[in-house]
Amino acid sequence: MPTVRIRNASEYPEAAQKLFDLSKAWFAHDFAEPPAMSRVMAWDPEFGGPHGRAMKRAMAPGEFTRADKEMVAAVVSGANACRY
Amino acid sequence: MKEDALWYEAAYVVGITNALNVVADGLPPDVLPPLAESAADAQTRAVIDEIRAFYGEVPAPFLTIARDPRYLSDLWAAVRHGFDEHRLTRRLKEALAFAVSLTSRSAFGTRLHLTQLRRLGVGEGGVMEVVGVAQMFSSYTKIADTLQLASDMGDIAPVDPAPAPGGRVARPSTARPRRKQR
Repeated sequence: MPTVRIRNASEYPEAAQKLFDLSKAWFAHDFAEPPAMSRVMAWDPEFGGPHGRAMKRAMAPGEFTRADKEMVAAVVSGANACRY
Repeated sequence: MKEDALWYEAAYVVGITNALNVVADGLPPDVLPPLAESAADAQTRAVIDEIRAFYGEVPAPFLTIARDPRYLSDLWAAVRHGFDEHRLTRRLKEALAFAVSLTSRSAFGTRLHLTQLRRLGVGEGGVMEVVGVAQMFSSYTKIADTLQLASDMGDIAPVDPAPAPGGRVARPSTARPRRKQR
C-alpha cells in the first residue's frame, strides 16, 4: 500500500500530460494510467524534469545499447532489493 | 531481451559477483590471510594460472579460498562459466558485475570489474553510461520504496514459452501462468 495516494493522470495539470505521453512512448506501451513512478515524478516538475532527463541521457544508446542498459537497471534494482 | 535464458545468465553473473565480493570485502588479508602461491600444490597452481589468464591478475578472494583447493576449483568453474560468453557478451557481464558491485558498495568488486571493462575496450563514456544507469536506478528504487509503490509494469514484458535447456515445452494445462518482473 503506497504511503501516499497516487493521483490519476486526470488530476495532473496540462503540462504533466505531456510528460505522461513521453512516458508512454518511452515504454512503448499503452498504459491505462501512466506508471506510478511517472506520476510520482510529475508531482514536482522541477525535480522530476531534470531527473527524467538525466535518466534518459543515462539510458540512451552509446557504448551500450538501450537493451543492455535495461538489464543493468534490472540488476541494480535487484541489488537494491526493490520489487517496483 | 525477451528470452528468459538471457535473464538466467544475468542472474548467475549477479550471484557469483556477490559471492566474490562478500569474501573480498568481508575477509581482508588481516582477517584471513590468502594462500601464498608458492605454498599451492600443482593442481591449485594450475587453477590460479587460469584465473590470472582470465583476469590479467588473481583477484584476492580466489587466494583466500585457495586454502580449500577443491572448493576453489568448483567455485572457479562456476565463475568462469558465469562470465564466459554464452547468450550475453563478457563485456555486458562485466558491466552488470560493475553495476552490482557499485550498488552494493563493494570496493573490491567495483575496482575489479571497472578494470575488466577497460581491458575489454569500454571507454570512459561507456563506464559513465553504466555509472549513470546504476545511479539513476538507485534513485528510482529508493523513491519507489519510500512511497511503497507496487509494481505496475510487470505485465508488459512477454512470457517466454521455451522449456528449460534440454527440456520439453510444457502442455498448456500443466504450465503455470506467471508474471515477469521488468
